[in-house]
Amino acid sequence: MNRRLKDLASEGADVTVVNPGARHNTAVGLLHPCKIDIRGSVGYYSASLMDGPEVTIDGNAGWGLGENMMSGRIVLSRDAGASAASTIRGGEVFVGGNAGARAGISMKGGTLVVRGSAGFLTGFMMQKGRIIVCGDVGEAVGDSMYEGVIYVAGSIGSLGNDAVLEDVSEDELLDVWGTLESYGVEERPVFAKIVSGRRLYHLDSLERLEKSAI
Amino acid sequence: MCGISGILHKNSSSERPAAVGAELVGMLESMTHRGRDSSGLTVAGQSAAGGLIVRVWTDDRAGAADVLARAEETVRRAGGVIVDRALRGEFLRLVVNYEGDVRRLAEDLLRTEGVEIHSIGEASEVVKDVGTPAEVDGRHGVGRLSGTHGIGHVRMATESRVDISHAHPFWAYPFPDVTVVHNGQLTNYHKLKRAYEDRGHRFQTENDSEIIAVYLADRLASGATLGCALESSLDDLDGTFTYLVSTKDGMGCAKDRWSAKPLVTMETDEVVAVASEEVALRRVFSDEIARREPQQSEVMTWLL
Repeated sequence: MNRRLKDLASEGADVTVVNPGARHNTAVGLLHPCKIDIRGSVGYYSASLMDGPEVTIDGNAGWGLGENMMSGRIVLSRDAGASAASTIRGGEVFVGGNAGARAGISMKGGTLVVRGSAGFLTGFMMQKGRIIVCGDVGEAVGDSMYEGVIYVAGSIGSLGNDAVLEDVSEDELLDVWGTLESYGVEERPVFAKIVSGRRLYHLDSLERLEKSAI
Repeated sequence: MCGISGILHKNSSSERPAAVGAELVGMLESMTHRGRDSSGLTVAGQSAAGGLIVRVWTDDRAGAADVLARAEETVRRAGGVIVDRALRGEFLRLVVNYEGDVRRLAEDLLRTEGVEIHSIGEASEVVKDVGTPAEVDGRHGVGRLSGTHGIGHVRMATESRVDISHAHPFWAYPFPDVTVVHNGQLTNYHKLKRAYEDRGHRFQTENDSEIIAVYLADRLASGATLGCALESSLDDLDGTFTYLVSTKDGMGCAKDRWSAKPLVTMETDEVVAVASEEVALRRVFSDEIARREPQQSEVMTWLL
């Protein structure tokens, strides 16, 4: 199926996938702009390693949804398993339900939006980009994050190591609300903002030796 | 990496059993990418007409007939009356009318040379073997077993050898009907094993997952409820784990503090199914119903 999807994607086609049966690796490695409409749940690493496509999934997704995406857009109607949008470098991932543990870990850019709640270690070692959680977030959010920002509208289980709260500006809030509106979310919640405290693993200190060698 | 699954039919009974064996085989077969070394399952909620279902096995293929005849003789000497008997190669299934202490019967069987116990239950049995679920079903006909609920496992061996003994589920000796399947690695296995051996518990394998069954047995023996035993295991077991336990009346799950091993659940008014992956749940549910993923340090139980 993925070989066929790649052929169709390279032609810029709009493709509908029916009865995916929660199979793994659905729509992986698509590198051309195209539209993929998946009607049903998908398994692990679906729509991962992609650059450009718009993928809609009417169902759930397993672990690693959209992992390593360079650009594009994923819209999931229900729940995502652990590690949704992990290590993405660009693009947007919208989870219509809840996301599991380690959502958005090691993100290097892009945006992850979770309409519901996100689990343990959300944003762990995040390096860039935005995570927006409309519901609650679990323990150790933003643990060891380098850069990037995590917005949470609901309760926070606990802040991770070196994660700190920061005031949200009006412009930021408008920007977040605009992102939510683009996914049809009409609520305008107030968000807490979590960023790196820059006391741990920060690039300025870690790269001291390398900088002195330049 | 291993795959685990479980299913419970809320409105079923031993008089109105569901096709649990076939459902578990189907769920496990969809996860053979998580392990093909061995497969096994527990089917609970069977009718043994007040007796015990005893499943024993020997690795002495050439002498299996003699070894298993000795096992039957042991059961008789312990006061058991064998009312049904099914011999399949090195595997023996007995239904025994027995009024005595199950621990004593189990110890007598384990003292019988060459005999290993897979399970003793009032309403459940463990069937396990090397190979895929379809292969195990082909050899043992587990797909024909019916009951109220059950758990299953496909194994990709990581820390102990591949053979029938080290296949899951593990019976929580000597508690009838308590069995466990596990996905993960336990890092305090040797420490716990030494402590439990000092207290008289028996181990039949070198598989770290067996400690979970023994742990639960020990907690239940001290009067803990299943839910409490699962809760305390989150602190007492170290490592990565998601495991399922089947009892006479239901099943439960526990997930470690790191949420490192997957588990998803789907539930309706009639049935609840759990598995490492949704692809297995799709063998039971064709509709796009809500799916739930238990989080770190979470315990769930479902009782009939």
